[in-house]
Amino acid sequence: MTSASIGVQADRPAELDLVRRLKDPALLLLPALAFLAFIYLLPLIDLIRISVSGPSWSSYFARVFAIPLYWDSLVRTMQISVTVAGLCLLFGYPTALLIHRSRGIAQVLIATAIVLPYFIAILIRTYAWMVLLGRNGPVNKLLVSVGILSEPVQLLFNRGTVLLGMTAVLLPLMVLTIYSSVARLDQSLTRAALASGAGPIAAFWRVLLPLTLPGMGAGFLLVFVAAIGFFITPTLLGGPSDQMFAMHITQQADSVTSEGFLQALGVVLLTITLAVVAVAGRFLGFEFIWGGRKLTEAAPTTTDRHAADAGRRSFGASAADLIGWPLLRLFGRLPASFGTWTVRLMGGLVITILILPIIVVMIISFSSASYLTFPPPGFSFRWYEQFFSDSNWMRAFWTSLVVAAMSAGIAIVLGASAALGIVRSSIRGKSTIMLLLVSPIIVPPVVLGLSLYSLFLRFDMVGSVFGLAAAHAIGGLPLVVVILSASLQGVDTRLEQAAAVHGASFPTVFRLVTLPAIMPGLAAATFFAFLHSFDELVLTLFLSSAELKTLPLMLWGDINYRLNPVLAVVSTLEVLLVVAGLVLARPVLATSRKAT
Amino acid sequence: MGEPAALRTTRSGEVGARTAPSGRPLERGTIGSSIAVRDAVKRYGSFHAVDRISIDIEPGEFITLLGPSGSGKTTLLNLVAGFQSLDSGEILVDGKPVHNVPTHKRGFGMVFQSYALFPNMTVSQNVAFPLRMAGVDRATTDRRVAETLEIMRLTEHATKSPSQMSGGQQQRVAIARAIVRRPRVVLMDEPLSALDRRLRESIQIEIRDLHRTIGSTILFVTHDQGEALTMSDRIAVLNAGKIVQIGRPLDIYRHPTDRFVASFVGESNLIEAEILQKRGSTLTMKNRAGYVFNAESRDTIDVGRATVLVRPERIAVSNEPTANSTRVSVTSAIFLGEILRIEANMEGGEPLLIRCTDMAVRPLPSVGDRLHVSWGAADCWVLA
Repeated sequence: MTSASIGVQADRPAELDLVRRLKDPALLLLPALAFLAFIYLLPLIDLIRISVSGPSWSSYFARVFAIPLYWDSLVRTMQISVTVAGLCLLFGYPTALLIHRSRGIAQVLIATAIVLPYFIAILIRTYAWMVLLGRNGPVNKLLVSVGILSEPVQLLFNRGTVLLGMTAVLLPLMVLTIYSSVARLDQSLTRAALASGAGPIAAFWRVLLPLTLPGMGAGFLLVFVAAIGFFITPTLLGGPSDQMFAMHITQQADSVTSEGFLQALGVVLLTITLAVVAVAGRFLGFEFIWGGRKLTEAAPTTTDRHAADAGRRSFGASAADLIGWPLLRLFGRLPASFGTWTVRLMGGLVITILILPIIVVMIISFSSASYLTFPPPGFSFRWYEQFFSDSNWMRAFWTSLVVAAMSAGIAIVLGASAALGIVRSSIRGKSTIMLLLVSPIIVPPVVLGLSLYSLFLRFDMVGSVFGLAAAHAIGGLPLVVVILSASLQGVDTRLEQAAAVHGASFPTVFRLVTLPAIMPGLAAATFFAFLHSFDELVLTLFLSSAELKTLPLMLWGDINYRLNPVLAVVSTLEVLLVVAGLVLARPVLATSRKAT
Repeated sequence: MGEPAALRTTRSGEVGARTAPSGRPLERGTIGSSIAVRDAVKRYGSFHAVDRISIDIEPGEFITLLGPSGSGKTTLLNLVAGFQSLDSGEILVDGKPVHNVPTHKRGFGMVFQSYALFPNMTVSQNVAFPLRMAGVDRATTDRRVAETLEIMRLTEHATKSPSQMSGGQQQRVAIARAIVRRPRVVLMDEPLSALDRRLRESIQIEIRDLHRTIGSTILFVTHDQGEALTMSDRIAVLNAGKIVQIGRPLDIYRHPTDRFVASFVGESNLIEAEILQKRGSTLTMKNRAGYVFNAESRDTIDVGRATVLVRPERIAVSNEPTANSTRVSVTSAIFLGEILRIEANMEGGEPLLIRCTDMAVRPLPSVGDRLHVSWGAADCWVLA
């Protein structure tokens, strides 16, 4: 077969050139890029256009910064976000170490305790905290029964609960980010430090900590950026003095008169977010966003820093001699069990914080009481019956399933094609394209929702199932691209070459070699894209109508209106869905974690 | 406390004191500790990684743990280092048990397979690390680091970061870090396996010489029998968590105790033969093809069947029959440079591997050629 085809190739170079260009894998990027350009970039650009469309370009912004309400809220948002990121780092690091150091079944259990909440909707996890800390909740009951309180008090709706709730919601992100950087380290480095006479604490301080600093930085910034745009948790757990910036946007969105000003609020939030990400990317490389390996053009520039440092060193050295090293050696005397127990205690606390609310909610869903109380006076299925017999709930449930399935379909088709394009083509600027594909993770959902609202109004898509699914796919697409490009990078191209050498055509190679290798990744990506849409609330708040209500939207309405155990039923069902998904996806997670 | 004297000296700042523990004679500046492993057991579930191993290591000895992967050699090293704890048995350093002494207080030096250089420190910071941890003052530290870098020929690389260096250079830094404190014990976990052959051989000699200079006890783990033979005072051959044989390289090579050691260390012909007669330590034997030859053995062998080890290079080859020779037919012959490697079949069909030096008079045989081979009593060894 080869000699014949070579002859043909030699005869018609021009035609072949076109064919070759059409076969360029870079073309596979086009659908996803077109999709994002229309439904993501265009609305954001439009948002910016409206924000500067006042009498002068800066008039709306001047208003934002002139009104103390917004300025105070901005400062508060920053304070809360930094605190939350700091708390997550403080408790997340020991937890990551705990996962890394445990073995066998213990490791699986601890990792599951972290990963499971990560995939449960923020709304549901926040609701669980409301249950846990409510007047009839277990915490109040416990405090009263041991005599610390004489009667139940209001534990909710203050700064403390906002910080607790946000930290709990964002902790898994931090733990997973740090874990991947700890797990990437050569195990023998710690051993080398120990063998060199460094106590466990000195080894941690001089070796482990400096080497995981980029991971810590990435975790801190990811949490910080997510926290800036937070809306659900502070709304539900905070009081009037805990208003965060994103909440103003949703509140203003209801009044038509604030056109322009509203967009200016969004642009401010977006600008801060992007500025933080840009600075972070400058130092960490933008890969920190998706926690992956560098894709291409990864020529590490080794600058000879140490020579330049020589001048500064003398002062630092004497300071280190005087205080640093003796202190380290002193800490080195602490028994190894000190560090071990710190890690266990803090890790254990984190696991409790993550898992306890979920368990309480699951128990309450079987309550026989007609209101929220823990422990339940008795057990029954009455709330499950109510849920399944209520046509509103069932319609919302069904809508959510349809929207999530459509959204996952869009995300997987576009995302898989884009992942193939980015991994297999040799175009320049891959990092930039990847950054664009992944960037929807970073943009605060409130801003995205606001910008999409204008677009949907213009094309009369508000309340359309397809429109909502497409909007959800904006966030699902990055998940698919990240998971699948990691899977594809894991496929040894030599296997494909080997298949081709032995006579397999391109489609056959793809079907027999590539597809089976990325199949687990494909399954996981589909599940996550589905779950992303199924859980999505913020965009839905902007884009749904009275006729189109999803499950999270119904939940949101009910949580604000009345707290009853039906919500616990929905939460329990969601937990079961995630557990089932994780069990199915577990082999994939295990392998992809090793790969990244 | 019950802390070994060895460890106390290294931690008190005066590192590398040249006094031998309690009354043991000093030889070539030995600072090494004696290590005794007694009935050490380490299990992973039902798998015995280390299965009742006992070994006595002399102060200043260079001992190699040799075995295939999974034989327990690295586990044993990790037990000595203190990275893992024994399930039963004990390890004594200078006569004192160390199970309560954590790794960082054992005062050993260690070289890792992956080098394990701290990427956040320069070469000299890496080498200075153990001294800093021991609380040595900066002036002394700087001097000692400079000396050690000099010994390892790394002086001009002092300010480089490990990632800027080649594998061989990184390994020399790792060795420098392990010896800078003049530790009594240096543990080496397959330190040369990531290097190419030429580099490996030069560093082997370097480590050998270094051992002579510093006089530490060195416990070296490898799966490369050539490396073990070149460097060690004694070799302990491990298989399936047990020590199969321990002895000087020459003994291990010439007088292996069983088939495993015979075939793992060096190339070997293992010939099944019948013992016809026993006179002193010399046996008269006959193989299946009826070739009768003499062989040396232990006294304990009685009449019956036995396996005889004949090293390929001990076989004499000629084109014409000689006294006591037998005929073989060549199945393959390869020219390896200074030697010829010939595979042949004996008359009973048993394969025989022959290595002989390349000499001008000897043509490279071709497949099917007849050759006449023989070996003397001293060239064979009867396995138990």
